[in-house]
Amino acid sequence: MEKTNKISKQKSSKKPLIYLALIFFAIINAYPILWMAINAFKSDKEFAVNQLGFPKEFVFDNFANAWEIANLGVLFKNSIFVTVTATALTVFIGALASYFLSRFDFKLSKWLYGFFVFGLLIPIHATLVPMFILMKNLGLLNTPITLLFPYIAFHLPITIFILTSFMKAFPKDIEESAVMDGCGIFRIFWSIILPMSRPALATVMILNFIYNWNEFSFALVLINDPELQTLPLGLAKFAGQFTTDYGAQMAGLTMSLIPIVIFYIIFEKNIVKGMTAGAVKG
Amino acid sequence: MKLTKTSKVAIVLGILPAFILYVVFAIYPILQSFYYSVMEWNGFNEMTFIGLDNFKKLFSDPLFWNSVKNNIYVVLASVLGQVPIALFIALLLNRKIRGAKLFRTIGFLPVVLSTVVISLTWSLIYNSRNGLINEVLRTVGLDSLAQNWLGDTKWTMIAVLVVVIWQFVGLYMIIFLAALQNVPGEVLEAAKMDGASEWATTWKITVPMIWDTILVAVILCISGSLKTFDLIYVMTNGGPAHSTDVMALYMFNETFSKLQYGYGSAVSVFIFFFSLILIAVVNKVLGKKMI
Repeated sequence: MEKTNKISKQKSSKKPLIYLALIFFAIINAYPILWMAINAFKSDKEFAVNQLGFPKEFVFDNFANAWEIANLGVLFKNSIFVTVTATALTVFIGALASYFLSRFDFKLSKWLYGFFVFGLLIPIHATLVPMFILMKNLGLLNTPITLLFPYIAFHLPITIFILTSFMKAFPKDIEESAVMDGCGIFRIFWSIILPMSRPALATVMILNFIYNWNEFSFALVLINDPELQTLPLGLAKFAGQFTTDYGAQMAGLTMSLIPIVIFYIIFEKNIVKGMTAGAVKG
Repeated sequence: MKLTKTSKVAIVLGILPAFILYVVFAIYPILQSFYYSVMEWNGFNEMTFIGLDNFKKLFSDPLFWNSVKNNIYVVLASVLGQVPIALFIALLLNRKIRGAKLFRTIGFLPVVLSTVVISLTWSLIYNSRNGLINEVLRTVGLDSLAQNWLGDTKWTMIAVLVVVIWQFVGLYMIIFLAALQNVPGEVLEAAKMDGASEWATTWKITVPMIWDTILVAVILCISGSLKTFDLIYVMTNGGPAHSTDVMALYMFNETFSKLQYGYGSAVSVFIFFFSLILIAVVNKVLGKKMI
C-alpha cells in the first residue's frame, strides 16, 4: 500500500514536466505554420517591425495580390481536377484488379499480385528522367491529363495492396449465393464486393487524395505551361520569381493550406490510419 | 470462385486496365532508363552507344560523391533525429494525459502538408533579413548568432536537416503510439509492483516489446530519406556551392540543365539499384521483412 502511494506521488510530480515537454513539441510543430498564416494578414510595413505579435490591423491585400499574381484560381482548378480524377480512376481500376486478384483462383494471380506490390519498392525519383522521355515520345508533355498517368501508375501498388488484403478476408460463399441468384461477375463486384469494401476504399481514397494533392516532382518535370500547373508547382515557381514579396508568398501558402487542413480535421482518423499503413507497407 | 470460360475473359478484362497503366508508366520507364544509360543523348539528336562511359564518368565525378555524402547525412539525421524524438513523444503521450488527442493531431499535421508548402514556409523562417529565427535572436539580444541560414555553406545542411526531421517526426510518433498501445498493461503494473522505476520499465520492458516496430521505423527512415528531392529542390536547389546537393537533385540538374539524357539515365539506374540494395541489406541485417 505504502509503495503504491509513493509511486503515484512520484508520478504526479513528473506530470508538469511531461506537459511542458509536450507543449514544447506542439509549439515547435504548429508555430511555423501559424506564424506564416498570422503574418499573411500584416502589411509589409508591419511585418518589418512586428513579426512575432498579432497583426494590429488585418490587411487582406496580400491575399488579393497572391491570388492574382500567382494565378491561384487556375492552380486550384488544375489541382482539383488532377487530384480528383486520378484518385477516382486509381481507386476504381485498383479495386477492379483487386477483386479478381483476391476472389479468383487462377495460375497467375499470385505472380501478378507480387508484380503489382513490387511497385512499392520503386524509388519514384529514379523514374523522373525516363518518365520525361516517355511522355515526350508519347506527345503527352504539357497536357491537362499528363499527370494522371504517372499518378495512377505509381499509386496502384499501394491501392491494390490494401484492397486485396481487405477483400481476401470476405467469406467464400458470398459469390456462390450471388451466382445462384443469377448475378454476373461484374454485377457481384459492383453490388456486393464494392459496398462491402467501403472502409478500405475510404482509406485508399484519402491516401491517393493526399499523395496527388501534394505531388511535386512529376509535375515539375512534365508540366511547363503556367495554365496547367498544379498548386505545389505553381507556388514553388511563384516563390522563386517573387522572392522578396513575403506577404504575397505567405498569403498564397496560407490559402493553399486551407483545403488540406480542413480535410485533415474532418478525416483525421482515416488519414492517420491510411498514411501509417501506406508508410509501413510502402 | 470457380473458373469458367466467361470468368477467364472477365479476369483478363478486369485486370488489364491496371496492368497496362502500371507496366507502361511505372515498369517500362525503368527498363528504358537501362537502355538510355549506355547512350550519349541530348534528347534531340541521334543517340550514340557509348557502353559504360556514363557510369565511368559518374563514378569519377566528385560532385556526384558529394551528393552521395549529403544523402547519407539526410539518412543519418532521419534515423538519429526522427526515431528518438518520435519515440520520446510517443512514450509521453502513452499515459493518461489530458489533451492527448490534441497533441496527436498537432503532431501529425506536418505529415499531411505538401513538401513544397513546408519548404517555402521554412525558407521564410530561415530568411536572413526577415526570418522568424533571426528575428527571435535579435529580440532576445543575441544578434551575433543571427546567420544567413540558407546562404552560408556552414549552416545550409543543418538548416535543411532540421526541416527533414520536423516534417516526419509525427509519422513515427503515430506508428510508435500504435505499438505502445499493444503492450499489455499488466506487465507494466507487475514491474511497478516489484518496485521497478519508470526509467527501468521503459528501457527494460516497453522498448524491447516494441523493438520490431522501431526497426520498421528505421527502415522507413532510410528508404524515405533516400527519396529526398522536393524539399531540398525548393529550399536551396542543392546550393550554395553544392553544399546541400543530394543524388536525386544531382540527377535532375545534370539531365535537365545540361541536357544529358543518357547520363541522367545512368544516374537514375544507379539510384534505383542503390535504393533496392540498401533496403534489401537493411531488411536482411535487421531480420525484418517489409513486404
